[in-house]
Amino acid sequence: MKLSSFRKKSPWILHYNAGGCNGCDIEILACLAPKYDIERFGMINTGNPKQSDILLVTGPVTKRSRERLVEIYAQMPEPKVVVSCGVCACTGGVFRGMYNCEGGIDQYIPVDVYVCGCGTRPEQIIDGVIQALAILEKKTKELEQSVRLKKEPVKEDTQLNRRNIAGEIIKTA
Amino acid sequence: MGKQYEIPLGAQHISLLEPLHFKFTTENEKIVDTTANIFYVHRGIEQACCSKFKFRQVSFVVGRVCGLCSISHSTAYSQVAEKLVKIEIPRRAKYLRMLVIELDRIHSHLLCLSHVAENSGFEALFMKTMQYREFSMELLEAVCGNRIQYDFSIVGGVARDLKPAVGQMILERLKKFKPQLDELVDIYENNWTLSLKNKGAGAITKEDAMRLNVVGPFARAAGLAIDVRNETEDLLPWKEVGFEMVLDTAGDVHARNMVRLHELYVSMRIIENIIARLPESALITETKAFPDGEAVVRIEAPRGELFYYAKGNKTQVLERLKIKAPTFSNVSAMVEAFKGNEYGSVPAIIASYDPCLSCTSR
Repeated sequence: MKLSSFRKKSPWILHYNAGGCNGCDIEILACLAPKYDIERFGMINTGNPKQSDILLVTGPVTKRSRERLVEIYAQMPEPKVVVSCGVCACTGGVFRGMYNCEGGIDQYIPVDVYVCGCGTRPEQIIDGVIQALAILEKKTKELEQSVRLKKEPVKEDTQLNRRNIAGEIIKTA
Repeated sequence: MGKQYEIPLGAQHISLLEPLHFKFTTENEKIVDTTANIFYVHRGIEQACCSKFKFRQVSFVVGRVCGLCSISHSTAYSQVAEKLVKIEIPRRAKYLRMLVIELDRIHSHLLCLSHVAENSGFEALFMKTMQYREFSMELLEAVCGNRIQYDFSIVGGVARDLKPAVGQMILERLKKFKPQLDELVDIYENNWTLSLKNKGAGAITKEDAMRLNVVGPFARAAGLAIDVRNETEDLLPWKEVGFEMVLDTAGDVHARNMVRLHELYVSMRIIENIIARLPESALITETKAFPDGEAVVRIEAPRGELFYYAKGNKTQVLERLKIKAPTFSNVSAMVEAFKGNEYGSVPAIIASYDPCLSCTSR
């Protein structure tokens, strides 16, 4: 089995709160719980950006948390998918225009799936994550495509003749 | 004296729901000093409430201060605005507000307990508690129309009525939940593995709790009898519906768990009483007055005392709104209670404080 098939069967989730109200965060936690049970798709909540494939972000980006958000995104290995949970992560929501808020996370990192609602329902989060899985698969395929070299092969007469150089070195010595 | 190490925790960490940063100075695994950095989620809600939104809209905005105790915030704001426009709300609206506050307390306390279990390394108990918690979310959806962010309290009353069928459903579900809660109390009290992580960890004495102004279950677990429901009677009639204080003495993580679990029994009794004695009246008092003067309101959120101050100037927009959240009072004691503990028990202690930083930093 290749690494890509593991990634498809068990994408790991990283959750970051970029200044939200906790509402969507507890719904993400409810997704992990037995009723909605997101683990049947092989998803585990990890705390480590270096091991995760899907980044779930909630909250409008506050000015202090945006550096952390970009840093966490940069630490995740390719391929990666970003899901913005809740209307404040998508557009800023009710917090749009407040002096310490940026309107939405897509001003800083590329977002693949937008999940709306205040607060998001667990069904919506699960649906968004399933869409993210399809995008993750597509991104993996793009990444693993073989790339043909476009450079022309080097011709024979431009190469150095090593035997000549060796001869020269011996002569000078 | 051994060598001292500084260990940072946060802003993003698996044991944290929200951005929060602690810096621990440790000496052979023992924590000797802590600094907390809590204002990652400051959004500027107070300023926006005094400039962008009209005073009737603000009750929906302050609900978004915190998703866990949303109803406490919107109720506290509605009460302070009702004081400013000088109206008395109908009795049925008061009872319905109490009903949703208590349902919210059930879901918030169970979330905190499950989080303590997870951070103590007891994943199965986390799953069990979250499974039992779902009934409260379903009831809140039936009563208010949304699982979180209820928008139930508005200035002058409440937005929705309680249908008799929904009242019956609440009673049935509570009856079903009672044996489940007994089971949870048994596990949290007697499980030996959990007690290793919880008993004696993060303890605070009653004197320290009093000196550092601790509120909520944190204070009640240390033996300090502080509960706004016990002190105020004018806005919401708590004692009428059978409120009782729950106290413990140890002040450690285990005591906090026990206080939260036993408060659930009180909440369930209050809900049953409310549904049995729900008075018939209108839902909302209409008024065309504009807010004028100053007012202060205190309310017991799931985490402790929530304080609202508002000032109006006879226009649609408030002049000043001040929110003081329970976690803000608790931060100094949180830092104090880490001292002398092992670094390994830090996640469980953090979860047992039940910190709500989006409340604290608005």
